[in-house]
Amino acid sequence: MSDPETMSEDTPRNDATLSGEYALGLLEGEELLKARGRLARDPEFSAHKSWWDERLAPLTDEIAGMEPSADLWSRIEAEIAGRSESGGAEVVDLQARLTRWKWTAAITSMAAVLMLAVLILPPGSEPGSPVAGGDTLQLAATNPLVASMPIGNSDLRLGITYLPGSEEMLVSASGLTADGIHDHELWLVPEDGSGVQSLGVIVAGEERRVAVPAEVSGNMGDGVQVLLTREPLGGKPEDRDPGPVVGQANLATV
Amino acid sequence: MRDELLMADSDDRDPALEAREKLRAAMVRLADGDRAALEEIYNATRVKLFGICFRILGDKKEAEDALQDVYVNLWQRAGRYDPTRASPISWLATFARNRAVDRLRTGKVRGGAVPVEEANPLPDEAPLADSLMIDAERSAQVHTCLAGLDDKTQKHIRAAFFDGQTYAELAEAAEVPLGTMKSWIRRGLIKLRTCIETGEAA
Repeated sequence: MSDPETMSEDTPRNDATLSGEYALGLLEGEELLKARGRLARDPEFSAHKSWWDERLAPLTDEIAGMEPSADLWSRIEAEIAGRSESGGAEVVDLQARLTRWKWTAAITSMAAVLMLAVLILPPGSEPGSPVAGGDTLQLAATNPLVASMPIGNSDLRLGITYLPGSEEMLVSASGLTADGIHDHELWLVPEDGSGVQSLGVIVAGEERRVAVPAEVSGNMGDGVQVLLTREPLGGKPEDRDPGPVVGQANLATV
Repeated sequence: MRDELLMADSDDRDPALEAREKLRAAMVRLADGDRAALEEIYNATRVKLFGICFRILGDKKEAEDALQDVYVNLWQRAGRYDPTRASPISWLATFARNRAVDRLRTGKVRGGAVPVEEANPLPDEAPLADSLMIDAERSAQVHTCLAGLDDKTQKHIRAAFFDGQTYAELAEAAEVPLGTMKSWIRRGLIKLRTCIETGEAA
């Protein structure tokens, strides 16, 4: 590092540079997570990032425009209609969804998640009230989001199930054991690039219902990334960056 | 911009400015829940945004899925756009690029963009390409400043922006240690920033 060529590597990178690295999409893993964490709680860092976004965006003018397929707009409309009128006439793809659901459950060995997903309350119902109607129809109408996160190199997986519109999710950590010196915290990585949101510390060995506040549930969606970090007992301290990422997965609609 | 003090009702308004203002207004209506506004935005921006998604993902099907994602998300979260801050097309372009890069990273795509020759489709004939250019002055600025960097650094920064490459991928492709790549790019970013700021202050 004494080579003058690389001298500036030793100078700590400042936020103006870090935010540029983030805006370009160069960062991965922990660095990415830390940057996203900063974005959430540091308006100055967020302003730096916007500065880069706005300056770099004109580069996209170099990219030749292309016409997407003519039916793309109707696909978008259909998806929006499907989302806003959940429970509408979706009979046609009911079978496909159920098949996919079972398939997901099977390949991820998450029988417990399947079972509990059926128990999760549909939107609007009172906690504790029984699920009305046939379970499968309920399930199909609400399109659960699930993630199955491999942990390290083990066969263990952390299961997450969330019914869009509901105020809680199911976190299944039944295969995991606590080491007594660390806790693990779950994070949602919003797709719009805003800061990561904590989904709370997981409880090893248990399946738990976890409250999902409105500011988090709005960011839940197909493809959204969730990360698991190793933290001191009790979860990430307020004034510290998140710990190392030990697992990641993406929510998928089934 | 030319000195046109009374542009409001005249026919010879700057078409680029007009297109941007229409788009901004549509974004505001969208935030109020007007679904017709989404179609207007789609019609005005799909060619540009699809070009971006395709450039990053290098696959038509993936790029269309990404684009669908972009507009559905836009509908759901239109309130995130702040019309007082960013230009709407610049914001949308950034949004589309980020979504495409995210998709690249989630492993849905084989990873790594296709070579430039393959990824560069024939330019679209639509007039939109002209009317929806992002602010010309800023565009010139970033291009000039990027061109002022040494070739190597410029190439890597462009690969990050246009191909969605990470530090690790760039280092591997260039066969240099990760730290070296970071050092090159950080220095490049510092220069780029200084250059742009100087240009803006002038």
